[in-house]
Amino acid sequence: MTSILAISKHELLSLRREKLPLVLLVVFVVMVSVSGLIGWLTNTTVSNVWNKSTQAGLTNASNPFENVSPLYYSRNTVIYLVLIGALMAIVLGVTSTMRDRKARTLDLVLSRPLSVVEYLLGKTIGVAIWLMAVLATVGCISWASVAIIIGKPLGVQDTTRLAGFYGIALVFLMAFVFLGMISGIYASRETTALLIPISVWSITAFVLPQIGTSANPVSLLNPVPSVAFPGGAFDALNTLFRPLSVTEQFKGASGWLLSNPEVTGYFIASISIVFIATALGLLTLLLTRRDRIRGALND
Amino acid sequence: MSEYAIQARGLSKKYGTNTALLDLNLEISSGEVFGLLGHNGAGKTTTVNLLTTLLEPTAGQVVINGINAMEYPNEVRRVIGYLPENVQFYDNLTTMENLRYFARLSGLTKPDARIREVLEYLDFTDHDHDRVGSFSKGMRQRVGIAQAILHSPSVLFLDEPTSGLDPEGVHQLREVMVRLNQELGMTVFMNTHLLSEVTKTCTSIGIMRKGELAYNDSLEATLEAFPGEDSLESIYLQIESAGTR
Repeated sequence: MTSILAISKHELLSLRREKLPLVLLVVFVVMVSVSGLIGWLTNTTVSNVWNKSTQAGLTNASNPFENVSPLYYSRNTVIYLVLIGALMAIVLGVTSTMRDRKARTLDLVLSRPLSVVEYLLGKTIGVAIWLMAVLATVGCISWASVAIIIGKPLGVQDTTRLAGFYGIALVFLMAFVFLGMISGIYASRETTALLIPISVWSITAFVLPQIGTSANPVSLLNPVPSVAFPGGAFDALNTLFRPLSVTEQFKGASGWLLSNPEVTGYFIASISIVFIATALGLLTLLLTRRDRIRGALND
Repeated sequence: MSEYAIQARGLSKKYGTNTALLDLNLEISSGEVFGLLGHNGAGKTTTVNLLTTLLEPTAGQVVINGINAMEYPNEVRRVIGYLPENVQFYDNLTTMENLRYFARLSGLTKPDARIREVLEYLDFTDHDHDRVGSFSKGMRQRVGIAQAILHSPSVLFLDEPTSGLDPEGVHQLREVMVRLNQELGMTVFMNTHLLSEVTKTCTSIGIMRKGELAYNDSLEATLEAFPGEDSLESIYLQIESAGTR
């Protein structure tokens, strides 16, 4: 337990000293903040136009934002998590296991009384704490943004849903952390270590949903999962490939949590797939052999 | 406490069809300074990696202080200190931060006082808050020795400890090794290809040749056994060319 704690602390200290994770963190926080600003601007602009139109007697329609859930304004965060968040998680994962290989400190670490499982768990906990801190920051920004837009604090139910969304986001991002960590252990070069998980991510986020739904690539950037037209080949392919697209499953689960009326599918199925992907990643990581971890880099 | 600090019994290591170490049998008494000599690729580093539990042997056993390393690797890791060849650290962390990490991994829960004690012992207190990335090879080697002795091990493994050091660095390191052995009673196992180091610091030697231990005896007995030879270098060359003894 002492070793796990020591490795977690070391992981956090190292992440604080490294530039790339910090840059990604700033980009991510800025994107989410901008997302709140865009939501606020959209709401203000549309409401102003609606007010003027109503006063001029040009429309009897109700304000389009009148019956919208306050969490609607956070929905773009989903796509930022799928795009920037997942990339950030991959970089964190690769950096985590690649750091000791690059620094050539593994023999010093492994000559201490600790098992490979303790070593990898310590790293996992360190990265998870870092991600939790990032998501907590982003969650607070989201909550404050929505509160500003609707002019009052979010209620308990909406706050719980928002917290649940960031909880699922952590599980989702950890799947990519594990992917990065495994790649950081097995790859013979640092560039390859980054390239492999990024390729897997792009297949998961873009290729699989597209061959299963014939979705326009641009529409895959929407926070709502793409749905195949019922019947026909795409529907059949969708049945086959959709479960493999963890990013689409995350979109589905998030949409349900953020009260997005456009979302279809089963929440439990989507959330289970996200959890299974993460659990498989952790299991694969913890099965790593001791001599594999000591593998030298060819850089 | 076992009579022998280090025992290797029929120790072998193969990488596929390549044999890196073959049937190593070695016993090193507690309190000795043992020098393992040999050409590059003779199997010295493989031997150290096996003795420090970093590698698993293909066959044979390692026993450190009476503890079987195959059965109780973590118990063995608690009683050994290890300085690899060309030791590296986390360059963006300070001496204290690096040592704190390794001390905690060795089981020290509040390591700062012990780290300061070790740095004072090694006369390295002026650099405890400097980042290791800015250190010379000699300074890194001092931090390397510090991390190896933080947890007060009884057996110290040094892999080519003087490699790349300037003459002053070699001299300082030699003094440290002798002090660790004489003042703290540590058994020292040193890999080297510098015969002058062995003559000045070791009490017994072994010579590796193509993955096998070609010679093993005390330094004194070795010098007596070759009365016509005026230096360890000529003895070494004679043993090297003669084969296993």
